[in-house]
Amino acid sequence: MDLLIDTVQSIADGVLFGATYALLGIGFTLVFGVMHKLNLSYAAASIGAAYASLLILAGIKAPPPLVFLLPAICGGLIGGMVYLIAFRFIPLANPLATLMSTVGLLLLIDEIIVHTTAGVPLAYPALFSDVIIQAGPFNLRGDLMFVFLLGCLCMVLLLLLLYRTKLGLATRAVSQQPTAAELCGISIGRVNGLTFVITGVVGGIAGAMTGAAIGMLSPLLSLPLTVKGLIVTVIGGLGSIPGAIVAGLLVGGLENLFQFFRGVSERDLYVMLLLFVFLVFCPGGLFAPSAGRD
Amino acid sequence: MDFYLGLLQIIGVHTLLGLSAYCVLLTGQVSLAQAGFFAIGAYVAGMLTVLAAWPLVLALAVSAIAGGAMACAVGFPALRVKGLMLVVATIAFGEAVRLFFFNFDYQVARGDIRIGPHGGEGFRQIRYFPEHGWTTLDVALFIWTAVALVMAALWWMDRSRSGAVLRAVGEDEIAAQSSGINITAVKVTAMTIGGVIAGLGGGIFAHYTTHIEHVQFGVVLATFAIAYPILGGLSNVFGTLLAVIFIQGFLLEGLRFLGDWRNLLFGGLIVLAMNLRPRGLLDAGSTIALKRLFFKTKE
Amino acid sequence: MLKIFAAVAASLAVMAASAIGTPASAQDRTVKITGFGAKSGVVRVFGVNSEAALKAAAEEINKAGGVTLGDGAKAKLTIEFLDDRCNAEEGISVVRRIASTDAFVAVGPTCSNVAESLFGILQKKVGDASDTGLQFPIIADVAAKGGLAKISEWSFRNVPSEFEMYKSLFAWLKTQHPTLKTIYGGVEKDFAHSNATFGVMKAQAEANGLQVVGQSEWLLADTTFSTQIREMKRANPDIVAISAHPFTTCGALKEMERQGVKPKLLIGLTSSSSIETLQGCAKQAEGIIIPTSFAPVTPEAQKAAEQVAKFGGSADLHSAAAYEIVYILKDVIESQKIMAKPDTVAADRVKMREGLAALKETKGLLGKVGRTSDREAIKPFLYVHAKDGSWQVLYKPAS
Repeated sequence: MDLLIDTVQSIADGVLFGATYALLGIGFTLVFGVMHKLNLSYAAASIGAAYASLLILAGIKAPPPLVFLLPAICGGLIGGMVYLIAFRFIPLANPLATLMSTVGLLLLIDEIIVHTTAGVPLAYPALFSDVIIQAGPFNLRGDLMFVFLLGCLCMVLLLLLLYRTKLGLATRAVSQQPTAAELCGISIGRVNGLTFVITGVVGGIAGAMTGAAIGMLSPLLSLPLTVKGLIVTVIGGLGSIPGAIVAGLLVGGLENLFQFFRGVSERDLYVMLLLFVFLVFCPGGLFAPSAGRD
Repeated sequence: MDFYLGLLQIIGVHTLLGLSAYCVLLTGQVSLAQAGFFAIGAYVAGMLTVLAAWPLVLALAVSAIAGGAMACAVGFPALRVKGLMLVVATIAFGEAVRLFFFNFDYQVARGDIRIGPHGGEGFRQIRYFPEHGWTTLDVALFIWTAVALVMAALWWMDRSRSGAVLRAVGEDEIAAQSSGINITAVKVTAMTIGGVIAGLGGGIFAHYTTHIEHVQFGVVLATFAIAYPILGGLSNVFGTLLAVIFIQGFLLEGLRFLGDWRNLLFGGLIVLAMNLRPRGLLDAGSTIALKRLFFKTKE
Repeated sequence: MLKIFAAVAASLAVMAASAIGTPASAQDRTVKITGFGAKSGVVRVFGVNSEAALKAAAEEINKAGGVTLGDGAKAKLTIEFLDDRCNAEEGISVVRRIASTDAFVAVGPTCSNVAESLFGILQKKVGDASDTGLQFPIIADVAAKGGLAKISEWSFRNVPSEFEMYKSLFAWLKTQHPTLKTIYGGVEKDFAHSNATFGVMKAQAEANGLQVVGQSEWLLADTTFSTQIREMKRANPDIVAISAHPFTTCGALKEMERQGVKPKLLIGLTSSSSIETLQGCAKQAEGIIIPTSFAPVTPEAQKAAEQVAKFGGSADLHSAAAYEIVYILKDVIESQKIMAKPDTVAADRVKMREGLAALKETKGLLGKVGRTSDREAIKPFLYVHAKDGSWQVLYKPAS
């Protein structure tokens, strides 16, 4: 019985934390869906946005909701800058070049964080961190629940944006047929840039959520989160937002489950092997939009 | 002088790492598994010279074969997927290799100390070079002999039909397939050659750093492996070499006098280089220009 | 294209210039001490602190007249600090760069994995002509993994012995808290230093009659600790010993608070007795006991801490070691009559090595520091605990 309770509790903890993975996955998948490009600097930029908001919060005394609003704004700004610096002036036909430029940007953002904070972990304010919800034998963390709900809200807003607004229509048009979209009078450059701003906003929130869930921010986070985000994107199916959400929660839950059963030294080994097998035998991911897409 | 020779060693080994990714990139695939093959080469060669007291060249040959065999074994399933899927699949493989060595403990008592890989604490005292009286110059020459051989072989391959086949697959898989090329065979072959080169590079790496541990072979090293050929350009092997010199010689060592600014510039200059030269530092255009410059009389 | 070549050529020229260095003029002798360590990446704070500590000590010595060289001339110390990005290859490169100048010693590195590689390229046994390893003395200030200096006879450390510290701490606990019977461990598994230190803690706990009721493990960059802490909660230990660096120490402590794990006593890793832990989780860390080789308790230590702060660093157990090293080097320069001239470099290096190896005792900020035949230090230490958001001295064992 204890084993069962522990297993369920492990999965529940993982799934709740998985909301941050899901949001990061959405960011990767959106950019990939629209531009068919990989933005490797995304997770670093998200953490960077959370750091930037800390800098601003240190200057002014702000009410708690601002803690999540500020990183979103910073994230949007950084997202726009990422587009300008790493994508705008590189020809579209050159996916390797943008891959490399975003790697450069990842290193740059990390190093900027390290230089402003000396690499020291900083405390990040969390909402409802002292609330523990007792459900029978299970404990659910209030702050993680909040983070989870916030993540769900973001996803809903994002889906509304994509499917109920003109901007969303244009974004989807560009992702499906860039040439035809351009002929219909959609400016590809603007849509691409706006996609980056939107994903940046999502990323900023994801960064803030990560900070709030851990209670701390450290540049240590950016590389593992990049890898996690990529994994989520691929498992969910490239370009699929619902896929990224499901995959994010799945990866979070599985990770904790492996940890519970196999211990921490072997946890990632099994996660990676499973992922490798999954990719090789189910290359489309959970929610593959259409076959044959790169 | 020692310093420049040491730097030459580093540039040589990283060139091998870059070239291993270059082979795979020619077929249009981005593989982040090269650090994994590099790690396998490093541990195999290190264990052979330290635990089994093999001569270095033999140990390196085995490490190259081990890297190649692993690449071939991984290549078959992995190359069913491409693009981003492959990137993530190879990250997963590379991390799995790293985590294997994190859990890998094989120590042998030698006198009153224990030698060999010791899990998370790493594998210490791989001192073949100093123990056998190799000077820094000897080591640098040895490494560059290996690099020159590999570069010559790849250069020759590039010129031959096989090179054309690799590039054909890289440019347009469907067109290549319809002209009768077995693309799976081509990709797996490229991956295997890449694995051999990475295994060799890893074997040398273990010996000139004298200590290896799992953290050295993470995603960062894998990213560097693909960064060299992409930054240098895929038109020929010298692009990779140029990029290694650019990163290791210029960005890391050359800019040292800038102090703290060096780290910030490191990422920034990579971004700038890609913006200015999206097809690599040494792209097809500049290769032709250089040829005109040096071989004027022949044309 | 040509522009890039020109840029590379220019940088090579600059490298050459900086590698050769500027010869000291006869009237105004200077001795350059080069430190190196990580000044980028997540461990940057170590490099920043070490650099500040080296500069602080050098300034003090210079104010007091400088060092006396072998020919009787007075020289001023200058400090240069190079960044190795906590990367073994770059660390080797940095040391080769330093060794190609007139330098006769280098101070560093920060990371144990860099130290492993560096000490490996040094000559293993002095005078062994068949060993072509580098003959250059290096004295480490931070790299804390156990037993590193025995790799080469040219490698030295002024790093506290964690074995001695935890041995003494657990013996003290036995006398102070005889009612505490069980201990539970938390260990950051993928970092060589914390992993090795946990072994020390565990062995000492058992040697002092504590029952180890289990251990939880996590990784350096882990973010969730719920599974691990649940195991801890179930074991219901009297003491919890956490061998982890500040980032995960804080993460684990916060999770312990959430799950309501309240052990009667908390023990931490030496490296976590820094300002980072308090910035991350002062509230949760309240009461954690850590042995450390530095705290501003003596007048010298207070003065050193102020001086280091002036140079933009903070004095902790790691940077205090760098501070002490400058004084050690000064003493060796004077006792071994090191000339510090371009034509005596090889001899100076040998003298420096012999001088360091011959030391039986050095002056430390907390008192006398013993030296072992393994070229390691036996440093005085004390126990600090987190109280009201700062580290306060709990007990100073008689050494």
